[in-house]
Amino acid sequence: MIRAENIHKSFGDLVVLRGIDLEVTKGEVSCIIGPSGSGKSTFLRCLNLLVIPDSGDVYLEGVRVTSPEIRPEWVRQQIGMVFQSFNLFTHLTALRNVTLGLTKVLKMDAEQADKKAKWELERVGLGDKLAAYPAQLSGGQQQRVAIARALAMDPKVMLFDEPTSALDPEFIHEVLDVMAKLADEGMTMVVVTHEMGFAKKVADEVTFLDQGRIVERGPPSDIFDHPIQERTKAFVSRILG
Amino acid sequence: MLARIIAGTGGSIGAFLFLVWLGRAGVYSLSYAESIVPALERGFSGTLWLVAAVIPIGFTMGLVMASARTSNSRIARAVGGTYVEFFRSMPPFTLIVFSSILATKIIRSIFFIDNPVAFAVAAGTLALAFHSGSYQTEIMRAGILSVPAGQIEAAYAMGLSRLRTLFDVVLPQAFRVALPALGNEFSSVIKDTSLLSAISAIELSFIGGVLVNGALSIDFNLIFIIWTEIALLYFVLTYVVVRIVRFVENRSKVPGLQAAQL
Repeated sequence: MIRAENIHKSFGDLVVLRGIDLEVTKGEVSCIIGPSGSGKSTFLRCLNLLVIPDSGDVYLEGVRVTSPEIRPEWVRQQIGMVFQSFNLFTHLTALRNVTLGLTKVLKMDAEQADKKAKWELERVGLGDKLAAYPAQLSGGQQQRVAIARALAMDPKVMLFDEPTSALDPEFIHEVLDVMAKLADEGMTMVVVTHEMGFAKKVADEVTFLDQGRIVERGPPSDIFDHPIQERTKAFVSRILG
Repeated sequence: MLARIIAGTGGSIGAFLFLVWLGRAGVYSLSYAESIVPALERGFSGTLWLVAAVIPIGFTMGLVMASARTSNSRIARAVGGTYVEFFRSMPPFTLIVFSSILATKIIRSIFFIDNPVAFAVAAGTLALAFHSGSYQTEIMRAGILSVPAGQIEAAYAMGLSRLRTLFDVVLPQAFRVALPALGNEFSSVIKDTSLLSAISAIELSFIGGVLVNGALSIDFNLIFIIWTEIALLYFVLTYVVVRIVRFVENRSKVPGLQAAQL
């Protein structure tokens, strides 16, 4: 479904990614873990071309989307993304946050977009918050609106960038529940996360990233319970406490 | 609320004392005050026309140039920066006089019109609008910078183009932040239209000057009546515009986003 080959990225003198590969087949969930500054977020942004890699290629359903002939907007509208800090449009209601992409990117008519947006918000359990503005919602609710906003575009792949890191502990589970349900329904997902419970339960593959390189990769049981590399061991024992 | 009462009472007492003083000085002349009303009407409508030109043009320039200044294109940023520095760094009076002379010179040499007053006034008005636009550029730029980068990233991530992101995500929020400062700039530029009297634009202050010339030979004190009425008209115009801006500000408040109250 989505494949990245040998992605390199530097910002000025700072080398962030030193050759990252990733392949996620349809319906799979791939988790990326690693210390802060390891390049997880940058790599995720390379997948939907929010960050253009210096070298290396990204393929979406076999199409080389890093090719200069391809418009980044066309790629991004097929890939949903959920951010650590929600990034809802604060001047729009929950409903309008979801319909914006439908009407302005997919050119749906208003009525159809409303219907679709309502359905997506109901799916994440927010059918009663359509008219609420982001500032009137809890962090967990905001993040679920953000998930609905991304899902409404019928993406082929969903990217999650530490979706629960900014949440109060009491709201984390409601977001993880929605994500687990998505995974069950067969959504292809790439998730940067520190939620080991979630990764263990849902992920098909876990990649440990450090200093812009892949240190170790494998099924969650291997990475969390029997890591081979010393760095992975140290990191896993730290986050599992 | 308390502030409003204090300001209201203070203003009323001030106005009352001023009138008492005018009465003492023997400058009350209701018949004269009425006799200049038609002339003032003409001046007021002139000022209204100028305001109706200067505010929209300045606002449009502000929007366009602020977008340019925050663009990722180097050229656009350079154009916006040059515009602001040029029009902000000269007194509006100088800009007005210079541009009207320039317009006169050009029109004369091309169309052989001896005294193209209308063109001179149009050029001066445009110069004032551009001057105000340079301030509005910076006001809007501050508004644009207040929009969290994450929201722009989110807009791009769902496939919105740069232009759509600007219009649907950035500007609506930037505008809300900029409104109080924009109201300030509007009220300031309304009064700056009086500078256009220097190039013979038929507006309130120009009419004021004409009336004063006529009144001087009758009674020096009549000047007070003229300028009191003119001041009042400027006040009313400014007040109305400021209230309109306030109204828009209140209407566009986002529920749940409350400002801190000290």
